[in-house]
Amino acid sequence: MNLFQLVLKQMRQRALSTWLTMLSVLLGVALAVGTLLIERESAALFVQSDYGYDVIVGAKASDLQLVLNTVYHLDKSPGNIPWTFYQTLRTDPRFEPLVKAVVPYVVGDSVEGQRAVGTLPELFGFDNQTGKPLEGYNERGELLPAYQSPLVDPADRDPAKPVAADVIGYRAGKKYELASGRMFHPRRFEAVVGADIPRLLKLNIGGTFRITHGLPAANETPDVHDERWTIVGVLKPTHTANDRVLFVPVISYFAIGSHKEGLEAQKAIHAGADVYAGTRPATSPADAGHDQPDADHDDHADQAGHDAANPGGPDAHDADADADHDAPDAAKPGGPDAHAAHDAGADHDAPAGGHHHHHKAFTLTPDGDIQLDLPESAWQASALLVKTRGGGGTAQQLIYLVRNGDIATAVAPGQVMRGFFETFLAPGAQLLLLVSILVTIVAAVGILVSIYNSVSARLREIAILRALGATRYRVLAIICLEATFVGFMGAVLGLILGHGVAAGVSAYFQRTLGQGIDWITVGPSEWMYVAGVTIIALLAGLAPAWKAYRTPVATHLVGG
Amino acid sequence: MAISIRELKKDYVGPDGSVVAVVDVPTFDLGDGEHVALVGTSGSGKTTFLNLLAGILAADTGTIRYHFGASDGIPPVDVELMGLSEPRRDAFRGQHLGFIFQTHHLLPGFTALENVLLGMSFTRRAADPAWAKHLLAEVGLADRLHYRPAKLSVGQQQRVAVARALANRPRVVLADEPTGALDPAHAQQVLELIQRLCREVAASLLLVSHDPLISRQLQRQVALADINRAATGSVAIQ
Repeated sequence: MNLFQLVLKQMRQRALSTWLTMLSVLLGVALAVGTLLIERESAALFVQSDYGYDVIVGAKASDLQLVLNTVYHLDKSPGNIPWTFYQTLRTDPRFEPLVKAVVPYVVGDSVEGQRAVGTLPELFGFDNQTGKPLEGYNERGELLPAYQSPLVDPADRDPAKPVAADVIGYRAGKKYELASGRMFHPRRFEAVVGADIPRLLKLNIGGTFRITHGLPAANETPDVHDERWTIVGVLKPTHTANDRVLFVPVISYFAIGSHKEGLEAQKAIHAGADVYAGTRPATSPADAGHDQPDADHDDHADQAGHDAANPGGPDAHDADADADHDAPDAAKPGGPDAHAAHDAGADHDAPAGGHHHHHKAFTLTPDGDIQLDLPESAWQASALLVKTRGGGGTAQQLIYLVRNGDIATAVAPGQVMRGFFETFLAPGAQLLLLVSILVTIVAAVGILVSIYNSVSARLREIAILRALGATRYRVLAIICLEATFVGFMGAVLGLILGHGVAAGVSAYFQRTLGQGIDWITVGPSEWMYVAGVTIIALLAGLAPAWKAYRTPVATHLVGG
Repeated sequence: MAISIRELKKDYVGPDGSVVAVVDVPTFDLGDGEHVALVGTSGSGKTTFLNLLAGILAADTGTIRYHFGASDGIPPVDVELMGLSEPRRDAFRGQHLGFIFQTHHLLPGFTALENVLLGMSFTRRAADPAWAKHLLAEVGLADRLHYRPAKLSVGQQQRVAVARALANRPRVVLADEPTGALDPAHAQQVLELIQRLCREVAASLLLVSHDPLISRQLQRQVALADINRAATGSVAIQ
């Protein structure tokens, strides 16, 4: 019977005490490992540096909110910037030399809890006007074999191969590609959806959906827009929050009646209209725009929109919109459904919950293309994803230039998220880690107490072992090995449990962010923690081992 | 001669600082393969004497020399036990001596077989389960190999202890009142077992007993009071 078998035997002899001691170690280690892992992965998740773009331009408000909303599709948009600024970045001689690619995002609405984002085909490698693939890509947005990716570092490029058109990736070096279907037409009610959407919304290619204003909470009545989009393509998984997004053409977003009204209102405000002329004021230009979390949006933003555009007058806007005012609302059951003609027979149920009907903001060409009533000058963007021409200096220069103006702000997402992490997440995680270290130390004391008590109860057994020829050192080793084994097993089981907890957190992140964490990889710090706990357990075993070492054999062999 | 003792002395210091001589044995010898009964009563220093012989206690003065000829591939041994360090005394005990206590002193969490194997765990030789099973069969417990002590009778427990003491094929078996807790019938059985197994492995036997019925069955009887000048009591050898 070797030493290890002997130890296992002794542990089995007092299994309950052994398991309880191990459990205390296990819980301490699980807490610590879970904390280490989640801290590491949160940092990887939020402080990633491999964004597919270096700069995000958005409304002058919270930088963090802008990044969270644009990159992770969290929170609400901090507001809008004029669409013209998108053009400015592309054409203005101050910005153009810095900007390689820029794609706008229009956000704020959702489909059954999943975000809808208005954007341009260029994001996916398609032409903004024709919807055809840009140079170097096929119909699915995949790189053609004859081309090399523009996302590859210029230093690593093959000089013999042409470079495909510049696009913005979802991560550094990673470009959106379609798994099935095709790109949306830039001027139709079509959508390309993230890889998780078919599963989440039970919607696949050919399926249609309507967009809900904002992201209503469970207790809020959804304000469902009338327009209906058809899914024409599903993206390949990106393992980012974008997998849970429904991408629609920017124009279709503006075609939403209430958007148009809000945008017009805002334009009017910018033009100096009396915002107080309406029954209730828009609290801010952004509020009049569509993006703010505003359950009352229809009541005042629309009102402000109409009244600001037509101050004091009757609803003149209806004059042109009524001609194809389609959806039969609750007040007009069975009314004419002109919209159905271009909408592939989609039904136009009355929006639930007393939502009053918006006026149509578009007409359709014979080809089925959307023609907005709203002039481009009134368009707005929630954010612009910008890829600069290279080098950190370019991005900083662009950020400086944009921030110095009074139209928009610009941020480097990596910097913002690092700041957020270091300010908010890291101290919390460190506190939790401290707590888990304390829990582990308590567990180590538990080992000490448990084994000390067991040694006290086993003095006669130890004396017997000595009488059978076990040296003091052997007895010392047996007790230390037992403590070490309890510590090690507790640590390993704790490691497994910690990763199990992280798997749960990953599933939660996956559900909320569309992006899980790597909960499988065991980092060096975790191995060090397991080793540390094992050493602490060994040290905790020394006190009882010393007691065993000093056990006087003759005394304890007397009597039965 | 398996054991030769010369001028062996052991004193204890009492709680009040007084020194009490417990063992003072000028000379004692145990022959190879000899079975000797050491007869003594409480206070005669028998347990301390056995613990000194086993190297569990260190003597204050004197020598205990073990001398064994080569056997079973083991080189001859000639060791003065009190000249060894404690770890080496422990190792010597594990290697060459078998110890039987008045009560069985089996480990409660181990089966009969494991308790016997435990007796082999502190030697340089590999454990020999076949030998352990043989010993347990010899003591009549072939069908109780996997019983824990609590499931065995007192007599059976003591038989396991006998098997354990013989597990290492010891050259000397030291038995401290091995039948003291048994009824006469079981005591007789256990005594016969001990003697039979000692003969089987050619071990010398030094058995302490205060029971003349037991002691007189051995080859030679020695009154502890006769050899231990510090003994406070004596028992007549019949």
